[in-house]
Amino acid sequence: MMFPVRCFTCGAPIGHLWEEFKKRVEVGEDPGKVLDELGIKRYCCRRMFLSHVEISYEILNFPKVS
Amino acid sequence: MEINVLEKNPLKLRLYIKNIPLHILNSVRRVMIAEVPTMAIDSVVFTMNSSVFYDEYIAHRLGLIPLTSEKALEKYKSPEECREAADRGLFTEDCFVKLDLEGKGTGEGLVTLYSGDLKTSDPDVRPVYDKIPIVLLANNQEIRLEAYARLGRGKEHAKWSPVSVATHKYVPLIHIREELCKGEECRKCIEICPKDIFELKNGKLAIKQDKILDCTLCRICEEACPYNAIRINWKENEYILTIESTGALPPKKILLEAIKILENKIDDFIESLKREGVVK
Repeated sequence: MMFPVRCFTCGAPIGHLWEEFKKRVEVGEDPGKVLDELGIKRYCCRRMFLSHVEISYEILNFPKVS
Repeated sequence: MEINVLEKNPLKLRLYIKNIPLHILNSVRRVMIAEVPTMAIDSVVFTMNSSVFYDEYIAHRLGLIPLTSEKALEKYKSPEECREAADRGLFTEDCFVKLDLEGKGTGEGLVTLYSGDLKTSDPDVRPVYDKIPIVLLANNQEIRLEAYARLGRGKEHAKWSPVSVATHKYVPLIHIREELCKGEECRKCIEICPKDIFELKNGKLAIKQDKILDCTLCRICEEACPYNAIRINWKENEYILTIESTGALPPKKILLEAIKILENKIDDFIESLKREGVVK
């Protein structure tokens, strides 16, 4: 689904950083460096970014029918 | 008691505290996590939702958004009173802040609604971050909702906890027995330390003084040393307290509130002891 508002493990807010992260990684920057610059230090928060799959774009094609 | 500030910025506070008993520091830490109240969205009323996301999913995302709470602590009623009001469905103004969200998908591409699109009824209580995505809307999908935020405590739900990290750790005491250490020839502890706190100075093993607090007391150096030259210990009654805020309250305020709450709890305890006649 969409990128989580908070880190599952520590509860630090991370949602607001997602779009910048995505934009910069798509241009070809190194994900690890981008995370460092965004101030994401702990590995629990870092894996939230690195392992996220934006599945919501696919779900959008199947709207509710009721 | 002696306190040094190791690090201080709007979201993080690191204190080096000397001469404090561990159980007192731990009580303060636990109160910070579970008892210091903050604002968070608790009830959401949907009047329209034709997006692909379930109401519950959106409500959950809304709940996790940190809201600024510094002024709200004095302005609104206590978490216990407001919880009761919410259970009875009374969204009164002395307890609740109303946040409205509205949006409709247009023909051109996807529309993302952000936390910054929430319209709050009280400017003192607003999302800390404006760029948290809440929902995605495709063409003709529409959302209209009213969210009600109230004060709450971390023990009720983690979304009300003002801290993401609140820890204390021991201060390391690293003892090198120079008569046993082979220095230059060995280097095993220098290479294995995950925090890189050892170095060689004039052929002798030394500790990087600016990095000694990074030591996690993992004792991997003790194990790696073939000559038993390193002993890791910790200082008695000296601790490092780390607070990392979610943004709802500044770290300083969290610490002061926690101490106030703990003080009230102990006062209550004495009161009930007196009432029951255990003490006079």
